[in-house]
Amino acid sequence: MRRGAWLATLTLGGLIGWATTGLFPRPPLPPWEAVTSQWGARNAVAAVVLGARLYDTLLEVLVFSMALVGVRWALRPLPQTEGRPPVAESPLLERAADVLLPAIGVFGVYLAASGHLGPGGGFPAGAILGSGLLLLALARGIRALARELPQPLLSRLEYGGLAALIVLGGGSLTLGWRGAWLLVLANLLILAKVSTGAWVVLEHFAAHRGEV
Amino acid sequence: MEGQVATFLASALLVLGLGTLLSRRNLIWKLLGLNVASGGAALFLVALGHRPQARPPILGWGPGPAADPLPQALVLTAIVIHFATLALSLVYVIFLTEHRHTQDVPKLEREEGG
Amino acid sequence: MTTLVLSLLALGLALFALRQRRLLWGVVGVGAHSLALAGVYLSLAAPDVALAEAAIGFGLVTFVYLLALRRAGRLVVAATPTYPLLYQEGERVAGLEWEILKKLAQRLHRDLEVLWVPREEIPRLLAAEEADLAAGGFLPAQSETLPLSRPLVPTRLVEVRVRPGPLGAVAGDRAADALPRGGRRFEDEEALLAALARGGLGGALVDLLRFRDWHLRGKLPEVELSQFPEELSFHFAVAPGEEEAILPALEELLDEMERSGALEDLLRRYLG
Repeated sequence: MRRGAWLATLTLGGLIGWATTGLFPRPPLPPWEAVTSQWGARNAVAAVVLGARLYDTLLEVLVFSMALVGVRWALRPLPQTEGRPPVAESPLLERAADVLLPAIGVFGVYLAASGHLGPGGGFPAGAILGSGLLLLALARGIRALARELPQPLLSRLEYGGLAALIVLGGGSLTLGWRGAWLLVLANLLILAKVSTGAWVVLEHFAAHRGEV
Repeated sequence: MEGQVATFLASALLVLGLGTLLSRRNLIWKLLGLNVASGGAALFLVALGHRPQARPPILGWGPGPAADPLPQALVLTAIVIHFATLALSLVYVIFLTEHRHTQDVPKLEREEGG
Repeated sequence: MTTLVLSLLALGLALFALRQRRLLWGVVGVGAHSLALAGVYLSLAAPDVALAEAAIGFGLVTFVYLLALRRAGRLVVAATPTYPLLYQEGERVAGLEWEILKKLAQRLHRDLEVLWVPREEIPRLLAAEEADLAAGGFLPAQSETLPLSRPLVPTRLVEVRVRPGPLGAVAGDRAADALPRGGRRFEDEEALLAALARGGLGGALVDLLRFRDWHLRGKLPEVELSQFPEELSFHFAVAPGEEEAILPALEELLDEMERSGALEDLLRRYLG
């Protein structure tokens, strides 16, 4: 049984490897430069994500939100761990988090806002901002940080960001809005959505499983 | 050359991940295997969009042919979605662990029958 | 060239991670693999993807796994109380085997739980997977074919003779195998000792460790001893369904403890 499973996957992998090593020539690229400048971008990936394939992106953001709703909803009936006394972290980590977090925040916003010009965009920027929050959480303790952060603002950012993104996407799809402003705005909204989403996951896991 | 190396890596990761998914009994090991396999699938798409000597698909970034931006855009969102769905599946693993006190799949199935 | 090196690195890390036994190492290995994969993306002219993979695969995903694998269910130990190996001290459980079991549970991220059961029940509990491990001076009987750990503590059977009369032993134990005709089987040690004290029994077949315990507790008057020549030892036994999950981890732990001398310390502390 186990050997059969390994054999089957090996055959599959071999087939994929064989089929793609030059048997099929790569198709010529579409005129991506023209498309990119038409959407007011310099980074073609941003033009695809937020322009040519906006439907995909909107639906993927919806999937992301649904998964987060699932995380919240499925963890609710489970018992929460009692707040253990937070382990005293080294002062170095605490200080480093204080110094690094503003830098990471600025870097994240920069990456999102300049995503249509160079590498970056809302998705990686949101993940980086989420990692920054993770660093701060490691220094202070997740639950202590959860009390410090303004919760209403966070949920407003999360759901408001989603709603604004849908409005923006709808305008672009039906009314034909386009231009650099649209890309910047959409990237910033995705940044808000993804970073708050990452924070929600961390906070809920920590509430039910204890601090790290 | 780079594209071919990456394609081989992608299929190897796919095999490794799927094999782990099928052969391990613990749910978290299965998820780790799925994690590696999905990385392989993403890499496969990006490798298909690669051209020999390609540069990033950003206007004004040097001469030469550019990589195909479409698979890159696809993979970019897929990675983020993968994080969210992974969190959701881990939540269900936690749920099972709290209620049934095991993460072993054959054991979970047997208890369901009995 | 860089792609080749980074690809080999990513593949090697994935192989390393997925072949581990401990989940913790698997998670850390997959995190490092993600970082190498981000390098591959970068060399494939996909900087956006590389950024996302590095931030998510290396940071957030690893962290979420770490939080999720803090508790992986229960590790149920079926045991008979045996004084220096595994016994109750008021509410607490203590003993040589307990120290090893605690370390094992920590490695498997499971919560330890002990079921105190008569010796005879243990094989059935393990076969039904109601317990994962057997401990507490477990001497495998000849008819039992459970997967065993390495020998922990060497011992022998002894015949303890108090007066002429039939011999007794604990049912299911190795000693019960050696019982001559007319011997009587008792549910547990206490019942055996009580029968000895009442005088209905001529003597008992036990292992050296339990005999030492009885002797120290002053449960035995003048006795006549004769040892069996066969050399035995105490083991942990593992439920057949859990063999792959637990036995390698247990052996690895015992290996490490043997090498660092921790096992020897424990033996000296508990057995003198």
